[in-house]
Amino acid sequence: MAIFRSVEKNKEKIYKATYFQVAWQACAMFALSILLAFVINQLRSDRFPLMGNWSIKAKHTTPDGDRLDISFEKAKKLFMEKSALFIDARSMDEYVKGHILGARCLPLHDVDRRFIEVTEDISPDTLIITYCEGATCELSCDLALFLLDMGFNNVRVLLDGWTEWTKGHLPVEKGNTVS
Amino acid sequence: MLTLSARFILGGVFVYASFDKILHPAAFAEAVYNYQILPDGLINLTAIVLPCLELVLGIFLIINFWMPGTVVMINLFLMTFIGALLFNMARGLNINCGCFSTTAVESSMNILTVLRDTSFLAIAVYLLYAIFFSRK
Repeated sequence: MAIFRSVEKNKEKIYKATYFQVAWQACAMFALSILLAFVINQLRSDRFPLMGNWSIKAKHTTPDGDRLDISFEKAKKLFMEKSALFIDARSMDEYVKGHILGARCLPLHDVDRRFIEVTEDISPDTLIITYCEGATCELSCDLALFLLDMGFNNVRVLLDGWTEWTKGHLPVEKGNTVS
Repeated sequence: MLTLSARFILGGVFVYASFDKILHPAAFAEAVYNYQILPDGLINLTAIVLPCLELVLGIFLIINFWMPGTVVMINLFLMTFIGALLFNMARGLNINCGCFSTTAVESSMNILTVLRDTSFLAIAVYLLYAIFFSRK
């Protein structure tokens, strides 16, 4: 019985020593990684900031400080009043499967080729609302910034537009209609 | 021999995976942001430190240094990563995993990404067994 108890005690000691070894090695590796990361970042010519502004507001603000995003309710109202033109920034395939009624198709990856064809009859003051699909989709924002660069001065982004639109059961259509 | 191969394969994968992320922290930060798991204040820090941790773990695994800590960390690392992938797949987020490359060329994460990472985890679990349970 005594031998059994002594073996158990020894086992416990070994386990404790192993936990301790794993813990200090893990802490040391964390510390080493943090140190290495800061040294590499300091040596970088384009030093990466330790804190960034990742808020939706920051991501959808033009370099001049103007907000790009528009609320779903406001976009819906503008759609009903027919006072905004919607542009779908997703791929042609996704557009054909379904899009906001009357929206034009200008996929961001094909924007150089299709820009003139899609926008030649749009006046620079037209209120344009771009959209894509997914909470992290950046296509609509990038397309909006591109359109602003190209001289359209009234461009907004409907965040996660396609998802919100279908959830709200608002008018949609399929096929390549007005692109 | 099997343990040696497992160490070199997994170590090589970790070192390789860290390079592109270390070179392009802004693009990797975007990938971290897209996971929508971490608070905004931790995104840049994670994008800077995580690739270096990957590099350190990979190198230590290859050179057989601090193995107990390294192997436990690698297992935790892979489990966390697979958990994050599954979590985002379950809630239908369509994003790049940012596993090996920070460019959009890498395809969106799918079940194959999870299977690939699970195979790495299988190697890591084998190493865990080899380090802690087969040394008598």
